[in-house]
Amino acid sequence: MNEAEAIFLAVRIWGYIGAGVALLFLTVGIDRVDEDARGAYIFRPLLIPGILVIWPLVLWRWYRYETGPENWSKRYDPPRKAHFAVGLILPIALAVIIAVGWAQRQTWPADIAPVQLSQPAEVNQ
Amino acid sequence: MSDKHPPFFVGYLPVPAGLRGWLLVACALFVAGLAALGMAMGTSQDDPGPGAFRFDYGRQTVTGVIELTPYPLVRVTKGNDRILPGTTLMLSGQGKSNVDARAIPLEGQLAQVSGIVLQRGTLNMLQLRGGRNGISGVEGAAPAQETKALGRWQLAGEICDGKCLAGAMRPGTGIAHKACANLCLIGGVPPVFVSTQPVDGSEFLLVTGPDGEELPKTLYDYVGNFVSIEGEVERRGDLLVFRADPETAGKVE
Amino acid sequence: MSVKYIPVQWNRNKWLYDAVMLAGVALFLYIFLHVTPDVLGHAQPINPQVHNARAFGACAFVMLTVILCIGPLARLDERFLPLLYNRRHFGVMTVFVAITHASYIVDWYFAFSMSNKYEALLFANTSFGQLSGFPFEVFGIFSLVVLIILAATSHDFWMKFLSPPVWKRIHYLIYPAYLSVVAHVSLGILQDQQHSAFTLLFIGGAASVGVLHLLAALKERKREHAVAAVATEGWVDVAERDAFEDGFAKIRLLPNGERVAIYLQDGLFSAISNACAHQNGPLGEGKVIDCLVTCPWHGFQYDVRNGRSPAPFTEMVPTYNLRMAGNMVQVDPVANPPGTPVPPLPATQQEAMT
Repeated sequence: MNEAEAIFLAVRIWGYIGAGVALLFLTVGIDRVDEDARGAYIFRPLLIPGILVIWPLVLWRWYRYETGPENWSKRYDPPRKAHFAVGLILPIALAVIIAVGWAQRQTWPADIAPVQLSQPAEVNQ
Repeated sequence: MSDKHPPFFVGYLPVPAGLRGWLLVACALFVAGLAALGMAMGTSQDDPGPGAFRFDYGRQTVTGVIELTPYPLVRVTKGNDRILPGTTLMLSGQGKSNVDARAIPLEGQLAQVSGIVLQRGTLNMLQLRGGRNGISGVEGAAPAQETKALGRWQLAGEICDGKCLAGAMRPGTGIAHKACANLCLIGGVPPVFVSTQPVDGSEFLLVTGPDGEELPKTLYDYVGNFVSIEGEVERRGDLLVFRADPETAGKVE
Repeated sequence: MSVKYIPVQWNRNKWLYDAVMLAGVALFLYIFLHVTPDVLGHAQPINPQVHNARAFGACAFVMLTVILCIGPLARLDERFLPLLYNRRHFGVMTVFVAITHASYIVDWYFAFSMSNKYEALLFANTSFGQLSGFPFEVFGIFSLVVLIILAATSHDFWMKFLSPPVWKRIHYLIYPAYLSVVAHVSLGILQDQQHSAFTLLFIGGAASVGVLHLLAALKERKREHAVAAVATEGWVDVAERDAFEDGFAKIRLLPNGERVAIYLQDGLFSAISNACAHQNGPLGEGKVIDCLVTCPWHGFQYDVRNGRSPAPFTEMVPTYNLRMAGNMVQVDPVANPPGTPVPPLPATQQEAMT
């Protein structure tokens, strides 16, 4: 098996587990963790792609809901400070990435002529 | 409403009168802007070059001598109006595949080949039909074919896969196309060196390893880059073969 | 009672938003796909598959660039907030455009070989040790995976289930994804492109995103200094009573890092958390509509006296206790649990009597 095959096997396994989690969560779990979901079924298929990609997080959150009330203050603590980090890092990183790409651009070396380094040793046939 | 506070938008309520004009302008600018960007970006694409499948020729069937460089070639001995005797055809299978399994047993023998021509300037490739319809030995002695050594050369240019370059893909060269070219080379499609200036009248050279083996894997890293590289050049009919020495390869600054 | 989830909570403005967005995208694609080939007039045309891939790739880049400009624009000028309102539909649409781009590439450049085309995408170019000729496809793959994660977790259920701060942190992945897109273009098509128009538009788009985020961040920092409370033990000064405007709030950044929105409504002061229960939008930048504090982002509403959404909604935010020290309104930095009723503080003695 080469690396590419291994990566795709891993992705498939991730997806299969995600499908199992989706089945379990959308039939059993969601009613236990969110009262707004009780009796609401049409929207559930919309959640399947999300569960497929972040199922470990789904399991973790589900576990947290099952094991007691969470610390409510954590729900009202947006990462606002990150705005400032993003505001600084984003322009710098964008400039660096584009500059690096720009520096790699090639110019067709049209002026370099072929150079014969040596004559043929002998004429075949 | 005081001037301090701009009109307050609530998604599920009607848009406040003070915002309507502004939002109409924003929407118009957005739609017109995207249309203009589509035009500007679409029309800024470069010319992909002249290579093409010559479906207009129809299926071509010619006879010639099979040679291995190790990439199989046909030195045409009995051609037609389109493909004259003396032409050298590179061969490929469907897609990114080679015809080694069918051509190697016929090395040095006279064979009939049939398929669709890909053409770019002096470069000719034949994409063979399947099975024996594409290539089969024919009766008769194979006439001797001349291979003329042209000495050792230092060339500047780009290593491509011969099929995309010849017209299977437009564009079929460059960095954005590199992975596709590599995949062709992995599939055994003949690689071609595009020289900055013609060598003995030809800017395209079939490129092999230094000892007449398949393109060394170390040269895959240079595909799509503008490189300078040394090697022996030989002429086989109207096709040049460049035995590139990977030790001498370097990017052109 | 609660409000049950449905796939999409449509309303007139969302329809309009999506119609305008789709009109722009459709026009971009139509012109790129069907008008420009004739304008280009190449002797041998670009392969349709490559032309299509470029159209959808360019469109995805433009859409992502516009989406990323909306956030900082709305922070710089409130009039852009309507563009923020239904941004998630814009994002989901972008994912579909990006997937179409990837599909054209995979079905063209990586098809026709003996190998699985998706595996070929990973192993065809392994020149990881160089910048020129680097397998720039990996940057595209990373961005696409991130976009898929973001789109797949865009339903309101996810915000509530993951909690807004966790959800927001996941959705901050949009920034690495955009950087990755820019790297994808910079080490990809930018390497070959000779025509300067695309290059200028690409750099201009990325520069807009960068500059707007920088400006918004600088403004945010200025505002943060303005609302930061003086570090004290116990009650925190908010402002003199006369500085308030009825129906609007003052925001204070408390020493513990929480933000509180102190509203004056009908001559009474009440304080709630500045973070909306929905997406942690800034409640203090909203206003009172029909006696309810209304979030400027998505219009979630709360009774400022108890931090609760009106029935049948069940959202709640923490409340804070207030007191008057002379003319100074002061807030207790210790929040009450979400939905705790707090008797409003009369603004004047007169109010207190009535």
